[in-house]
Amino acid sequence: MEALVELRVLWAAVVAYVLAGSIAIVGVLLKKRPEKIVLLLMTLGLVLHTLSIGMRWDRLGHGPFVSMFEILSSNVWSLMLVFTIAYWRLSVVRPMAAVVMPILFIMMGWLMTVSPGETRLPPTYHTVWLFIHIGFAKVFMGFTLVAVGLSGIILSRSTAFGSERFQRLPANERLSDLSFRCLAIGFVFESLMLIAGAIWAQDAWGRYWNWDPLETWSFITWLLVAISLHARLTFTVSPRRGAWMIIAVFIAAFLTFFGVPFITQSAHQGAV
Amino acid sequence: MSFLHRLASLRLTAALMAFFCAGILLAYFGKLPFAPVISACLSVLALNLMVMMATNPRFRQQRSLFVFHLALLAIILLVALGRMIYLKGEAELVEGLEFDGQLVSMEAGPWHPWRLDQAKFINHGFSVAYAPGLKRLETRNKVSWIEAGGDRREAEIGDDKPLILEGYRFYTTWNKGFSLLFEWIPDGGEAGVGSVNLPSYPANALKQAQQWSLPGLKEPLWSMLQFEGDLIPADQEGHFRLPDNYRVVVRYGDQRWELVPGENQVINLPGGTLRYLELRSWMGYMLTWDATIPWLLAASTVAVLALAWHFWAQFSRRPWNQD
Repeated sequence: MEALVELRVLWAAVVAYVLAGSIAIVGVLLKKRPEKIVLLLMTLGLVLHTLSIGMRWDRLGHGPFVSMFEILSSNVWSLMLVFTIAYWRLSVVRPMAAVVMPILFIMMGWLMTVSPGETRLPPTYHTVWLFIHIGFAKVFMGFTLVAVGLSGIILSRSTAFGSERFQRLPANERLSDLSFRCLAIGFVFESLMLIAGAIWAQDAWGRYWNWDPLETWSFITWLLVAISLHARLTFTVSPRRGAWMIIAVFIAAFLTFFGVPFITQSAHQGAV
Repeated sequence: MSFLHRLASLRLTAALMAFFCAGILLAYFGKLPFAPVISACLSVLALNLMVMMATNPRFRQQRSLFVFHLALLAIILLVALGRMIYLKGEAELVEGLEFDGQLVSMEAGPWHPWRLDQAKFINHGFSVAYAPGLKRLETRNKVSWIEAGGDRREAEIGDDKPLILEGYRFYTTWNKGFSLLFEWIPDGGEAGVGSVNLPSYPANALKQAQQWSLPGLKEPLWSMLQFEGDLIPADQEGHFRLPDNYRVVVRYGDQRWELVPGENQVINLPGGTLRYLELRSWMGYMLTWDATIPWLLAASTVAVLALAWHFWAQFSRRPWNQD
């Protein structure tokens, strides 16, 4: 019964998110800026989602760290949280919601299809480093998502349709600067995530690094971010090329977070 | 352009990082071995970084960025040093016995300062809880050791809570099972006690047998533990325990004996007498040693703090919300 209530609250949150995203997309299409209602719906969705995660946490006695349902739910929550803060604080680029929300819709749709069955926390997950490691990972993903939203605007502006819809936003150079700022902050948090993960792995498995699939892909993502930032700081990178770099980083990060758990049964199994 | 300036090129850095990324991918998919790829890429990157730091005055003037790269260099050197001095191994220890430094398997760097014989501790038994579906939960293992001052210390360790002795970190693992204790009394010789560790339980529940040998005997012995039912029910919660009723089957050549605790426990073999003593548990430990770890953590922390400092200084020059 409790599980059903949690799911209903989660569905209500998803409905609020979808409404917010849909209104944001329609707003861009009609060249309107219904920003207050979008922000309100995103906040409402976050409140409901937090409630749903909290109820499940209380019922199972552990956080959303084990199954794909829990990982997806907690990541939709954290990405929405970071994006909502960015939407609230970065008023000049709010129409990027039309780019970001469809990515989150995919994750929400996936979330609706996976089993919400009960889970148990593995013995090695009883550590504060789990929260620190996962917390840093979520901040990294959140900032990368905002960077992707800005990059999406830059790329869509190369078409007449996108150029017309996003013409009131700052110039591509400014958007590119903001997107790389987000990527740079993400890089700091990704580095912290790797350090926290290494501390946890040392305590849990007696080795700080073992090149298991998730570690390998996390490091590849870290290297891709490092290459992108190095290229941006060292060479003259056009906004379009920079945008493609950020999208490549996001794809690598997304595959690491959500793809690797499908190909490995190792202890370090996508618990982000 | 001089050779040094070419070696310090930022374009070369970008190319090397791309090669590093490609190398890891190839190693991941099994096309190349990990160790040489990582060693080669990190060595060239470290060289590029060192020459850049030495030859580029503008790079040195950006203090935060310089500290970040210095810390990266320290990380590379520490990782290399770590590979020279590390040890990773596995040991099995029967309940009630003392660890004597013997490892079942191990890998170690050439400069490892062997101090395993000083890392003595006694395994006082363990508990392992299981969830339905034979999902292993928490392992708790009581151990004791004598400190340098002569004080006896006790602790409870687990998969994520190591015993640290002489810098060696001992962790419990999934690998544990039953051990048969025998006494071997050779004709005219001195008696000795030994144990036969059976394969890990419940992972090898249907293979609780082991072949072993005794000093002076031509053929190996074969022993099997027999008991009824499942000690850990697969469909409900349970815990690891020794069987209440069991028998031990011993084979030597064509001869076969069934030993029942409390009844017949003695076998006469050519050259001596074998007496079954008791059944105990054994725990498989994973142990690691790497003195560079605290320094690696320090260097990594400095690297991230310096990077954050650099970006903070960069971004604070222009507000985020400015058109």
